[in-house]
Amino acid sequence: MTAVADAPVRPARTPPHRRRSARRAVPHLVFLAALLVAWQLAAQLLEPIVLPSVDAVAAAFVDLVLTGELPLALAQSILLLVLGLGIASAVGLGFGILIGRSQVAHWTLSPYFSALFVIPTVALVPIVLIWFGFGMTGRVIIVVLAAVVPILLSVASSLRDEPGELVEVARSFGVRGELALLRTVRLRAAVPVIMSGLRLAVGRAVVGMAVAETYLRLGGIGGLIRDYGSLFQTDYVFAAILPLSLLGVGLSALVGVLERHYQGWRS
Amino acid sequence: MPESKLSVEGIRKEFPLAQGGGTGTLQVIGGIDLDVAENEFLTIIGPSGCGKTTLLKIIASLVAPDAGCVRVNGRVVTEPGAERAMVFQSFGLFPWKTVLDNVRFPLVTRRVPTAEATERAMTYLHKVGLERFADSHPHQLSGGMQQRVGLARALATEPDILLMDEPFGAIDAQTRELMQEELMRLWQETRKTVVFVTHDLDEAVLLADRVLLLSPGPGRVRRIVPVELPRPRWEYDVRAHPDFAPLRAELWSALRGDLLADQQSGVAS
Repeated sequence: MTAVADAPVRPARTPPHRRRSARRAVPHLVFLAALLVAWQLAAQLLEPIVLPSVDAVAAAFVDLVLTGELPLALAQSILLLVLGLGIASAVGLGFGILIGRSQVAHWTLSPYFSALFVIPTVALVPIVLIWFGFGMTGRVIIVVLAAVVPILLSVASSLRDEPGELVEVARSFGVRGELALLRTVRLRAAVPVIMSGLRLAVGRAVVGMAVAETYLRLGGIGGLIRDYGSLFQTDYVFAAILPLSLLGVGLSALVGVLERHYQGWRS
Repeated sequence: MPESKLSVEGIRKEFPLAQGGGTGTLQVIGGIDLDVAENEFLTIIGPSGCGKTTLLKIIASLVAPDAGCVRVNGRVVTEPGAERAMVFQSFGLFPWKTVLDNVRFPLVTRRVPTAEATERAMTYLHKVGLERFADSHPHQLSGGMQQRVGLARALATEPDILLMDEPFGAIDAQTRELMQEELMRLWQETRKTVVFVTHDLDEAVLLADRVLLLSPGPGRVRRIVPVELPRPRWEYDVRAHPDFAPLRAELWSALRGDLLADQQSGVAS
């Protein structure tokens, strides 16, 4: 992080991003085309119920959009994800700070969160169902349970090691009190680790969302998949999986934007 | 001597000894009394483990002493204050802040209006020759430049006392000489009281009005040696001055004795 030599230094630079991403797109597209051709050929050999053809999936997708089923489901899923991730971030940050800064809290609370981390989200569904019913509350709680631990662990572990002498620097220049130090130095220095925790949490939240939407009351993208799956309309199932993965990719990209905002200085 | 700007009275400090799960303590500073006059440049030198950095941190109120007190302008201080500013060994710059924001940091923390903070920060960045790099981030600068930012940040708070903890220790030898010269110029220009910790004997003599030699663990005042080499010292080769060698020899023989004694006790225990 610190430059060692006394070499001449450039004050700023703008890397030629654009040309590089264009060069990367070509093999990407070639591979995608090959994949679609292989899929289409395989679909000729198999029953449509096992593997529907590419054009059938495309038609199903258009149908889902035109009937309004997919936009509605997507909106429901996004709402669930936003609520779940929002609450998971708040809870994860709060308990993460507590566990990261208090040894007693670390000893008493950490085992429970570690246990939660290894329990598959599906296993929690019956309990959440009994306690909170089929409604929105239960679904949000599933997503929170799935996503909270990576955020909490990343906050806690990065707060446990001191960011070098920077805390002393802040104190010597007039920052007073644990809260102010957290805000100005400790959490700010922990951003890279917290961001990777958030990335992990996004992936788990999407899984939690799909679980909640298929095992609790049907709804959202997960509900669509379950509905059409039980009708053996495989082309519609594929058409619904696509936006689900796009949702995950989109959220990861959002985390990327956050990362660049806080760590732009690294590039 | 004029009235003292900074005085250290009966400072003692022990640290708990964590090694081997023992419950003992290690005495780092065993009773230090010290007066520093206004505008004086005091360097502190001593073998590693003599508590010189701890002493500086106690003066900065970053570490609380077990006994004794620190007075600035006659008043006992227990919290870091605007009348003292520290320059850190590994620069202590916030990597996520720009150079300008790093220098402005103490001013913003102490609620100086933004426009004034910016102006003061730029003034001192200009003094260290880095105003062109105001919008760069620390990792884009060399070590010497990073420490100039650290120096600008401390000076921009316009403190009475500048506390420097081996500030040039992590900088290569040639750059270090330039930085020493620059520091002397800035000191002559701004007339601060400086307490400067170093492990470099030449540096200690070169910069100082007085050199304080600490004895090893627990740290005590071993000797205080006044340095009356003519100033400004960047106008001639200080090391070639006839008074330089005897001063250095006097300090080295004391330091060497302590180092040897320390090694032997280390072997014995």
